[in-house]
Amino acid sequence: MNEKESYSDVLVIGAGIAGIEASLLLSNSGRKVHLVEKTSYTGGTVIKFEEVFSNMECSTCMVAPIQQELLQDKNINLVMLAEIEDVKGSFGNFTVKIRKKARYVDLQNCIGCNACFEPCPVSLKNEFEEGLGERKAIYVPCAGALPNVPMIDTEHCLRFNGKECKACQEACMFEAIDFNQKDEQLELKVGAIIAATGFNIFDTKKTPNYGYGKIDDVYNAFEFERLYSSNGPTEGNILLKNGKPPKSAAIIHCVGRDQEGYCSSVCCMYSLKFNHYLKSKIPEIVISEFYTDLCIPGKSHQKFYEKMKETGTDIIRFKEIEIEKQGKGMSVKYNNGKKKNSLPVDMVILAPAIEPREDAPKLAKALGISLDEYGFFKEEHPDVSSVTTSKPGVFIAGCVQGPKNIQNSVSQANAAVGKILSLFN
Amino acid sequence: MERKIGVYVCECGPNIAEKVDIDKVVGAVSSLDGVVVVEKYKLLCSADGKKFLEEEIKKHGITHLVIAACSPKQHEKTFMEVCENAGINPYLYQLANIREQCAWITEDKDEATKKAIRLIKAAIGRVKYHSSLEKKEIECNPAVLIIGGGVAGINASLELASPDRKIYLVEKTSSLGGMITNFEKTYPSMQPSSHILKQKILDMDKNENIQVFIDSNVEEIIGFFGNFEIKVKKKEVDEPAEFEVGAVMLATGSNFFDLKKTPQYGYEKFDNIFTALEFEKMNLSGEISLKNGKTPRSVAIIHCVGRDEKGYCSEICCMYSLKFIRYLKDKIPDAQVSNFYSDLCIPGKSYQKFYEQTKGKNVDFIRSTNVEVTKKENKLSIKYIDENGNKNSLLVDMVILAPAIEPTSDVSELAEIAGISQGDGGFFAEEHEKLNPVSTSTDGVYIVGCAQGPKNISDTIVQSGAAAGKILASLIPGKKMEIEVKTSHISESFCIGCKVCISVCSYGAITFDEAKKISVVNEVICRGCGNCVAACPSGAATSKHFTFKQIHQELLEAVK
Repeated sequence: MNEKESYSDVLVIGAGIAGIEASLLLSNSGRKVHLVEKTSYTGGTVIKFEEVFSNMECSTCMVAPIQQELLQDKNINLVMLAEIEDVKGSFGNFTVKIRKKARYVDLQNCIGCNACFEPCPVSLKNEFEEGLGERKAIYVPCAGALPNVPMIDTEHCLRFNGKECKACQEACMFEAIDFNQKDEQLELKVGAIIAATGFNIFDTKKTPNYGYGKIDDVYNAFEFERLYSSNGPTEGNILLKNGKPPKSAAIIHCVGRDQEGYCSSVCCMYSLKFNHYLKSKIPEIVISEFYTDLCIPGKSHQKFYEKMKETGTDIIRFKEIEIEKQGKGMSVKYNNGKKKNSLPVDMVILAPAIEPREDAPKLAKALGISLDEYGFFKEEHPDVSSVTTSKPGVFIAGCVQGPKNIQNSVSQANAAVGKILSLFN
Repeated sequence: MERKIGVYVCECGPNIAEKVDIDKVVGAVSSLDGVVVVEKYKLLCSADGKKFLEEEIKKHGITHLVIAACSPKQHEKTFMEVCENAGINPYLYQLANIREQCAWITEDKDEATKKAIRLIKAAIGRVKYHSSLEKKEIECNPAVLIIGGGVAGINASLELASPDRKIYLVEKTSSLGGMITNFEKTYPSMQPSSHILKQKILDMDKNENIQVFIDSNVEEIIGFFGNFEIKVKKKEVDEPAEFEVGAVMLATGSNFFDLKKTPQYGYEKFDNIFTALEFEKMNLSGEISLKNGKTPRSVAIIHCVGRDEKGYCSEICCMYSLKFIRYLKDKIPDAQVSNFYSDLCIPGKSYQKFYEQTKGKNVDFIRSTNVEVTKKENKLSIKYIDENGNKNSLLVDMVILAPAIEPTSDVSELAEIAGISQGDGGFFAEEHEKLNPVSTSTDGVYIVGCAQGPKNISDTIVQSGAAAGKILASLIPGKKMEIEVKTSHISESFCIGCKVCISVCSYGAITFDEAKKISVVNEVICRGCGNCVAACPSGAATSKHFTFKQIHQELLEAVK
């Protein structure tokens, strides 16, 4: 380390499962952590899921305790609605500029009673619910979000658009709503940085052969997760657009694999999980899984597949596939290498590839690290060192480095912490 | 000591007050035995509320506190802090949840009020029997025992070793490096594997905080997180070495599936059939050749050998098979290489590209089932069923088998020595599949690399770093470790020595005192799960803070 002053605090970017695990472990060691999160809640993508493979553990039950721990941890400064603007300096001595948007709801005063939602006159599609549910201009993304404190969407709130509405403020018994909050510029001094900003899923509109966006009842994986979630827009009822439960469904793997140029490693497993979701809610449903290569690596996954096979699901390897509208419904036209087939189904679920977030280039630039050819954050060495980057002091964990499951994301988060504690005492 | 119980009811703004008649609640519990004060408050968790509580506790000399408010998940800790600040033991307090479990779910106000009264009475009934519990800390030893001198063990040693943390690395063979030393190159970079290891092994030698035992096995691990006593026995040396550590890491790697169990591949029956490891070694020696010294012109690589028998996909076989094609093409550019596979498993961002670049002239990928190897004249014949269901065959000079990864032969013995269990596939079982893949049910014992399950080099190194991170964060030189307060206790006079508690304890916290013929709880290891309490037939095991008396009184008031 150079002669400049060095700081022991650590900046963690992204409060998903990797960021939370890294922050808690650092805090446990006595380090002070600044955890910067872009949204108004913690938990990242994992809280969109009702259950996680292969034990089908309830996802919220798995994550909520560590979210609570995070919120109560005095070593962790959780900065929400915030983004990294600029990073200067080197290992041991980084200066980070952060832009933090005002929430307009006081985190201390708000008790999460949600009384402010009902009187809000603005209704919008809820992004967290993939547009399948609605929210108000003051909202939490879903029931059970942590912290259970709403935010005001100033783009749509009447008050921030020249009207005199203060319905939410009047409904609040705790003086928690403060229209005078201002956006802030923060400057932090930290010794090391862990970037754990997660992933996006491939835009299934780019593969028109699947009918997504054109044919009713074709869903992508995130939409289907929310349809199954007990805190989702249908309270966990899997229903078609016409309000009836589907009698048959097709789950299509590898959507966007060719376009992205890699196997996203988790899609086969979560597609098998979807099979379980459907069977558990609609036992008589007929399911077909369309796949190219079954990729279920590791000691615990095949037994999950074997169990799924027992349910009578048709497992079909396809070479070409297309979803076509047929009368009021649709059918899957596919070629299995031997002949062309057609299968009418009520519902189609697409398993899209994992891809980098759209803001990955901006963050990589601010951090002074490079992206790989796919747009993920580039690790120092693909064979051996997946959590270090070309820049000392900047570490990466989770899907920001490449597609992976929760277990490997958590391991990377812990490993990044290990590097920091080992290199930088 | 006289009990002075204070009861404080939170209105939670309108959240509780709208659904529960708070004044009625206050009236109903005011005259109960031992209760000296009952007050309502608008919002107890607010800064003013906490200050109010603190002053009240001091003013009334309150010895036992009941708060009726929200879920303990939300504010149990908040009010424990208030107790500490006011000078009473934080375990002499009970939180009655009259929000989530009452006001928010009960429509009728009368019903909700009645329920709130019951919940508060139950809390009062219970808190009378609470005892003070004290936080406990133990001294701990920052040293670490690492078993296995492969890439995981080496990486962890270097990351953990420091002047105030000694590392003991125990390797059962005569040299460090493990499996990787057999590989010429690693995927996907195809750089020499010596790049990964050579410098690190030199660093190990130079590091005076690392003590390496070669040709040695760990014979005994006794103790608990922070304080383990270790015995290590070196081959042909009588006396074992003894030392103490605070944590243990198992980085013992894996074996390959035994090909004798799949005779259809002809291994050891015909010449020129090699296992993946044999082929790695042959390639490393510099020359790929047949038994008769000639260069093979055609090679078949058979994937997934033993997968059906093991019941899982070993994750790395497809990728190393692709690497073998590269080896072959490097040394024998015109060789015909045919891959017999079922599903191509190449997960992750950089592997598909490796596959695309490996495909090409004279490289075939044949999706097949029922693969069988026989001899035909001086060649090997691969019989198989192709993906259209047709029987087919192919003549080759050489066959390479990609066998499944399985636990090492001493896995059960090691698990027993380390006090951990085996899970899926017989590998060491992790504490939690998702959130704690490198921890085990025994605190302070970690599992990394292929000992935890099949994985590639990169993920192995990540896991060894993850376990190092866990150790660095929790076993800090000079710092004491806080242990669980709400542990179990076994009464000496009630225990009949049946040992049922020992069989149900997941943490190995109970031992048997042979002299007294009773079970004894080690409070340092106990996590207070209560398994032993439920299982004990003689009522000797109790859980602190969940005593029979406490639970009985709580239920009595709730159902009265």
